[in-house]
Amino acid sequence: MGLIKEAELPGLGKKYLLELEGGERIGVVVYDEGLRDLFYFAAGENEPAYTVTLTDQEARQIASILGGVFYQPKMLEKLEMAIADLRIEWLKVAPQAPAVGKSIGELNLRKNHGINVIAIIEDAGRGKKKCTAINPGPSFVFLPGQMVVAAGRAGDIEAFEEMITGGGVQNGAV
Amino acid sequence: MPFETTTNLTIIFFLITLAILLANKLHFSSIPLLILLGILFGPCGPHNAWFDLRLVQNCELVSFLSHLGVLLLLFYLGLEFSASRVVQNGPTILKGGTVYVGLNFLRGLILGWVFFHSLPETLIVAGITTISSSAMVTKLLMELKRTANPETELVLGFMVYEDAFMAVYLSLLYTYFLTGGTSFTSGLLSGLVTLLFILAVLFSGPRFSPYLERWLHIRSGESFIAIGFTLLLFTVLVAEKLHVAEAVGALLLGLILAETSHAKRLVQMIAPMRDLFGAVFFFAFGMGIDYREFWAVAGITAVAVLATVFGNLFTGWFSAWICGYRGRPALNVASIMIPRGELAILVAGIAASAQLTAAFQPFAALYVLALALVSPPLAKKSGRIHNIVTNIWSNLHPAK
Repeated sequence: MGLIKEAELPGLGKKYLLELEGGERIGVVVYDEGLRDLFYFAAGENEPAYTVTLTDQEARQIASILGGVFYQPKMLEKLEMAIADLRIEWLKVAPQAPAVGKSIGELNLRKNHGINVIAIIEDAGRGKKKCTAINPGPSFVFLPGQMVVAAGRAGDIEAFEEMITGGGVQNGAV
Repeated sequence: MPFETTTNLTIIFFLITLAILLANKLHFSSIPLLILLGILFGPCGPHNAWFDLRLVQNCELVSFLSHLGVLLLLFYLGLEFSASRVVQNGPTILKGGTVYVGLNFLRGLILGWVFFHSLPETLIVAGITTISSSAMVTKLLMELKRTANPETELVLGFMVYEDAFMAVYLSLLYTYFLTGGTSFTSGLLSGLVTLLFILAVLFSGPRFSPYLERWLHIRSGESFIAIGFTLLLFTVLVAEKLHVAEAVGALLLGLILAETSHAKRLVQMIAPMRDLFGAVFFFAFGMGIDYREFWAVAGITAVAVLATVFGNLFTGWFSAWICGYRGRPALNVASIMIPRGELAILVAGIAASAQLTAAFQPFAALYVLALALVSPPLAKKSGRIHNIVTNIWSNLHPAK
């Protein structure tokens, strides 16, 4: 993970700088008025080569595209985000997985396994994805093909992954 | 007559809106345009047998609104002031900022003395020429897409420092000219009293801010702004009764409230009011100027503009150099901090109410206007200037 440098710009807002693997830097300035400026600095340069100005709305849209909300790269079906000990994973329910046909309450995910299910996403046909349930209740039943977004500690998430994707061909042909 | 007052006010606000819209369209600061429209359409505007541009007059209501604008500008300056932020910026910026403000102030004093040979006028000239306009500088930074550059942190750090300096200097000026005013010693004495008072407020602030903190803990925005505004008027009234300049009262209230956690919310609520009534102040300032007086002050304005541009290029570059910046970034710092604005006009306003030489208003207007025209291209071309300077340098010292 790249290191993010944060700096206060008194009277303007805040500045974030992320150094990329190639040595280039991406700068983001969030203005108090709500606008965002994006900057691209070539390696070793102090003057930006490119800049983009975004409104608050546009910035959020771009942020969710970058965050993989609309479409995840095929290579990284199992996306992971690591913030300290917290892990948020996107897992596809395998056809023969132990959890198939069971509800969140039955598995007692939160108490026994330390897992919070954040959302369930299903294919809505023609390659589009649709969020079926956000923060599903205990009666929600897992079915093959669903994408489960879950949060928990690293160890707990690994155990949960076994329940959701184990016992069958991983991400088998649907 | 109430109808005429309303007509007058409507036309004034129409012109103010025009100036601000035009400024945004031209990517220009609104302050010089507001002053310019005030000069053109005010009571001293151009007129002859065929046309008459004198559309608006300065009436009691307008001068009250512009007065409110001054109070809000100072209240805001106080609210934004934070001693901890100046210190937080770190010792390098503190050192560079001191050098920067100190050298610029010295240049202002020298200019003032050369022009007028008397202390009160010198203090005013120093006030007009020392401090760059944060509004115009931030606008330039955003326009030139330099907000993410490393040296921008230094520019903004310097500006925080400048504003802090100006908060103190302004209250000294107000006290000197509007309360003691007449003789040197009495002015100096009341200035010292004000300075002590400010220090006392800054040091005792943390002690009674918990009470204010609890007292101002109001969820409803409506009650919050009502209380804040009433507090401002009340402080101004008390200051007047205590023979402290009322503007100093507004500033001090800002300083006290800046220490509480409500400062940010107040800033957000006061900012639109400050913009609106501040605009009336700049417009009314323009209305008080007769453009025919420009010729009389053209000479000293030209000298002051040249001294500011070249002086600032040097002081900015030198203080950036002290803070460890070299080459183009240092020149970026120097060239972007040239524009002067709201605080220069405020100081000229003090001179007007203290009935010093009438030359200050046209001088300040012309000065702000000229710098607003000169500074954006200078800041934009800082890279080119850097190349030229390095070329000359290497031609002069070919062996090295």
